[in-house]
Amino acid sequence: MSLIRAEGLTHVYPGGVPALDGLDLVVEKGRRLAILGPNGAGKTTLLLHLNGTLRPTGGRILVDGVPAAYDRAGLARWRRRVGLVLQDADDQLFAPSVFEDVSFGPMNLDLPEAEVRVRVADALAALGIADLADRPTHMLSFGQKKRAAIAGAVAMRPEVLLIDEPTAGLDARSAKRLLATLAELEAGGTTLVFTTHDVDMAFRFADEAALFNHGRMIAHGAAKTILADVGAMDRAGLDAVDVRDHSAQ
Amino acid sequence: MSTIDRVAHTNRWRSRSLSEKALLAFGLLVVTLAFPPWPTAAAVLVAAAAAAMVGARVPVRIWGLAMAAPVGFVVTGAATLMVSLGDGGPALAPNGLVDAAALTLRASAAASALLLLAFTTPASDLVAGLARARVPAEIVELALLIYRFLFVLADTFAAMHAAQEARLGHVDWRRRIRSSGLLAANLLPRALDRAHRMEAGLAARGWDGGPLRVMTPRRPVSAAGLAAVVATLAALVGLGVATR
Ligand SMILES: Nc1ncnc2c1ncn2[C@@H]1O[C@H](COP(=O)(O)OP(=O)(O)OP(=O)(O)O)[C@@H](O)[C@H]1O
Ligand SMILES: [Mg+2]
Repeated sequence: MSLIRAEGLTHVYPGGVPALDGLDLVVEKGRRLAILGPNGAGKTTLLLHLNGTLRPTGGRILVDGVPAAYDRAGLARWRRRVGLVLQDADDQLFAPSVFEDVSFGPMNLDLPEAEVRVRVADALAALGIADLADRPTHMLSFGQKKRAAIAGAVAMRPEVLLIDEPTAGLDARSAKRLLATLAELEAGGTTLVFTTHDVDMAFRFADEAALFNHGRMIAHGAAKTILADVGAMDRAGLDAVDVRDHSAQ
Repeated sequence: MSTIDRVAHTNRWRSRSLSEKALLAFGLLVVTLAFPPWPTAAAVLVAAAAAAMVGARVPVRIWGLAMAAPVGFVVTGAATLMVSLGDGGPALAPNGLVDAAALTLRASAAASALLLLAFTTPASDLVAGLARARVPAEIVELALLIYRFLFVLADTFAAMHAAQEARLGHVDWRRRIRSSGLLAANLLPRALDRAHRMEAGLAARGWDGGPLRVMTPRRPVSAAGLAAVVATLAALVGLGVATR
């Protein structure tokens, strides 16, 4: 079933060229969707549309088949269901300590105090940063900040989790551990939508891949097919996966 | 600034309740001001240093450096007390040495009491304490955001500065002035840009423009800690009364 659907989505930043140019995309429940494209393709802009942060300058977004509402109550409902983790964790972490920051989302859900504590503890444990709870957010490494930022969204237990470049800047092991964490979340029923520049990672990890370039969709389908399609990948300005590398293992 | 912040977050008294630490620091301050400097202020100086270095394990070198600034300042000022301008021109003031020493002692003791609080309690905890003391939420929130932004901005500044330096932007004073101007001019739009993205991030987690609510960890007052603070202050008051 389609959870979120973009129809003819267009976005023009003030005084700029279209960042999204008539894009159609369907986010299916319970899938792992990887979004790929070169720098400036519009990946971040798309994610910001999928939780209502940006409003389309053309086209529309449907949530559960119903046109999205951008009033206060509509956005609140939308964001309860769809969590977003920004590309740069420093844009997201604002509270003095990790614990406080992760508690922000659950507090906004108006949960009772005991439940907030459980949510925060669970999210920190899931991301493997329980020991950092009392650490000030400005005394974390890049990868730790990333995990803290993801925990902040996970603590709200959204149905869909949008993550902008989850593994960018992480060392190979940390990236692997983070993907394992995301896989567990998905097994628990969370739909994952993430952007990445790591084609091999997307090939191994994602169910579906969407390629786009210059704000237009080039191809969308099973990750194993799309990412090995030399023609489509080339049109998206990307190098196709060499399937032999993967089948060798 | 960042040294104090780092120590404040990592010292052994980090998890002690704010009330205990604030009571001790302000108690020491009041005792210092209420009694003649000798011997009370000297005792306060020792008590604050012991609390900081033995209790909270603030590194000796860092404590020494932090104390050196205010003490140096006070000594310079106090030196003027030693001289008096009479009919025959400047002369050593009668009692000048004693007055100068008393002033130095008292001011240093007061500084050490406040440094003790600064080194054991992060600014964010102090601000959270203000919230509990019924300071309006808007002010507290602003202070917390400024606290967080200071570090982000300092990082941005350091990165931009390093990038300029790597491209020889600071090799002589003319280029330094020009580069510094460019840096200052660019810092504001960058900060605004970040503020925009941060707003989007907050909204994504359900913020509706109202107060920023987080759950602050509670640090309960420990009976033993409180007793130790009260005993210390009582002993100092006793000393002050006995020697007055
Ligand atoms: N705040 C903004 N104002 C104006 N133009 C913007 C803004 N943000 C992005 N753009 C432009 O919109 C286009 C798409 O940007 P977007 O950030 O969505 O790309 P992206 O695919 O996420 O790239 P990257 O891989 O570099 O993160 C780019 O041409 C970019 O210059
Ligand atoms: Mg991006």
